[in-house]
Amino acid sequence: MIRRATLLVLSLLIVLVWVFPVAWGLLTSFKTERDVLAYPPQVVFEPTLVNYQDVFVGGASIVPNLVSSLVVSGFTTALTMLFAIPAAYALARLDLPWKRAGGFWVLATQMLPPVGLVIPYFLLLRQVGWTDTYQGLVLVYLTFALPFAIWLLVSYFEEIPREMEEAALLDRAGRLRTLWHVILPQAKGGIAVTIIFVFLNSWNEFLFAVVLGGNTVRPVTVAMFNFISLEQTQWGRLAAAAMVGMAPVIILGLLAQKHIVKGLTVGAVKGGGRR
Amino acid sequence: MSAASVSLAGIVKRHGAVTALAGIDLEVAPGEFFSLLGPSGSGKTTTLRILAGLERADGGTVRMNGKDITSLDPGERDVAMVFQSYALYPHMTVRENIAFPLRMIGVSKEKISQSVKEAAARVRIEHLLERKPGQLSGGQQQRCALARAIVRKPALFLLDEPLSNLDAKLRVETRVELKRLQRALNVTAVYVTHDQEEALSLSDRLAVFMEGRIVQVGTPEEVFSRPATVEVAGFLGNPPMNLLPARLENGRATVEGVAIQVDALKALGSRDVTLGIRPSAVRLAAAGVPATVTMCEALGEDFFADLTVGDRLVRAKLNGQGRPAEGMRVHIELQTENVHVFDSTTGRRL
Repeated sequence: MIRRATLLVLSLLIVLVWVFPVAWGLLTSFKTERDVLAYPPQVVFEPTLVNYQDVFVGGASIVPNLVSSLVVSGFTTALTMLFAIPAAYALARLDLPWKRAGGFWVLATQMLPPVGLVIPYFLLLRQVGWTDTYQGLVLVYLTFALPFAIWLLVSYFEEIPREMEEAALLDRAGRLRTLWHVILPQAKGGIAVTIIFVFLNSWNEFLFAVVLGGNTVRPVTVAMFNFISLEQTQWGRLAAAAMVGMAPVIILGLLAQKHIVKGLTVGAVKGGGRR
Repeated sequence: MSAASVSLAGIVKRHGAVTALAGIDLEVAPGEFFSLLGPSGSGKTTTLRILAGLERADGGTVRMNGKDITSLDPGERDVAMVFQSYALYPHMTVRENIAFPLRMIGVSKEKISQSVKEAAARVRIEHLLERKPGQLSGGQQQRCALARAIVRKPALFLLDEPLSNLDAKLRVETRVELKRLQRALNVTAVYVTHDQEEALSLSDRLAVFMEGRIVQVGTPEEVFSRPATVEVAGFLGNPPMNLLPARLENGRATVEGVAIQVDALKALGSRDVTLGIRPSAVRLAAAGVPATVTMCEALGEDFFADLTVGDRLVRAKLNGQGRPAEGMRVHIELQTENVHVFDSTTGRRL
C-alpha cells in the first residue's frame, strides 16, 4: 500500500516535470504579448487566439513550413521503411558471413555525434548542389534513420519463429510472398513503432535542417526560430507555432501508445512482444 | 492424391565439424506410414527436413517416385509438413490458414472454399473456421495444422513430433485419428518421434536412428522382438531391456560369476557378450542368476521390481508371480527364447 502510494507520487512528480514546459507553452500561446511579459506570471488571464491566427494565416504563417516538414518526414519515413524492412529481414534470417559485423556497424553509426557531421554533410551537399533541396535533406536524414530502423526491426523479425517461414516455404509461398503474407503481418506492431519513431525523429530534427535547409526547405522546427530575433522574442507566436508543430507528435504518440509500449519491451518476456 | 515412394541414398549432413547424418539409406513404399524413431540428436529431424527440402544434404540423393529431387526447393516438392509447434499463421483465421497453400498456387476462390471445407471436416474443425489460432486449444491447433497440410493433397506427408505438445490422453486419441486419416487419404507419411510407443503403434515400418545412422529398419514387431544392436535393445521398451555383460563358452554363459548352461548358445563359440532380457521376460526361479530385490512397486496387476545382480540393476515386470519382499534373495532364470545375445565389441545381435 505504501509502496503503491510512493510509486504514484513519484510518477506524478515525473509527469509534472515533463508536462510543465508543454503546459506553460500552451498557456503562453493563448496570451497577448503583454500577458506573456507580466510579472509575476499570470495563470488567470483573458485568452486570445491572435497568436494562432498569426502563425496560420498571418504574415508569419508557418503553414508552408508544416508542408516542408511533412514532405521531408514523409519521404524520409517511406524510403527508410522501403530499405529497412528487407535489410532487417535479411539480417535477422539469412546466414550471411558478415552478419555480426554488419549488425554492429549499423549500430555504430548511431554513436557518432551529429554535430560533427554537419559540416562534412554541408560540404558534400554543396558539391552536388543539393543544399536547400528536399532530396538533400531527405538523403541526410536517411543516413540516421536507416540504421536506427534496421536495428529496431531486426529484433521484431527475430521474434517470429523460423518454423512459420518454413511452413510458408512448403506452402509454396517463396521468399518474397512469405515476407509479404507471413512475416510483415506479424511484425506489424514493430513496423508501426519504427514508422512512428522515424517520422518523429525527422519531424523534430533541427540541427541539420537549419544548416542544410534554406528558403525553399525550411521545416517547422527551423521556422519557429524566426520568432526569436535580436530586437524581440515573440513568445506568444513562438508558443503557438510550437503547439502546432507538436500536435502531430502528440497525436501520433497517443495513437501508437499501445504499440510503443509493446515495442520497447520486446524480448523482455518470451513472446511478450507479439500478439 | 497418389501416394509417393521415397528413397534416400547415402545422405550425409554436417554442421561444421559435427556430422549430423553419416550416410542415411532409406526406402519408403507408397502409402506406408513410416516412422523415424530415435533419441534426440540422433538425426531423425534432420532427415525429415532434408526430405522436406528445408535443409540441403551435403551428400547423397533424395528421390520421390524415382525422380531426383535433391536440389529442389521445398515448394517444388509435392510435400506437406506438420511442425512440432504447428507453425500456424497467427494473424490469419483457421479458414485462411487452411486456404493459404491453395492461395499460393492460384486455385480459384470457389475451389479453395470447397477444399477448405473438406479438409476441415476431415479433422472435425468445421465449426472453428472463423477463429484465430490463438483462440484454439492445443488439440484444435494441431487439427488446424493437419488440415492445412492435407488440403493441397500432397503425395508425401511429413510429421515432426506432431503429438508432443498434447496432453497424454489427447495424444493417444489423436494418434489413432492420425493413422485413420493417413489410411483414408492413402498418402505416404514419414513421422518423426522420440516416443517409441507412438512409433510402435502407428508405423507400418520404422527406422531406428542412433547418432546419425540408421541402426535398424523393420516392422514394429520385428524391431521390438529382435533388436539389431545393443543400443536399440536399450532404447526400446518401457522400461527398456536389461543388459548384462556375460562370458560365453561352449554354451555356458557366465553372468556375474554364475555359469548357466544355455544349449542354444553353443553355436556362438567363446566370446564376450551382452545378454538382453526384457523386464517382462524376467522369471524368478529356484536356480539361476542370484539377485537381491531392492525395491518393488505395484502397478495394478503387475509388480515392477528392481533387482541387483552383482552391481547391476535389473528391472523386472512380474505378473502372477507374487510380490517379492524387498531385500529378498532371489534367482533369475534365463530362458533361451527370451534372451537376446549381442556381441560385446560390435554391439550387434548374434
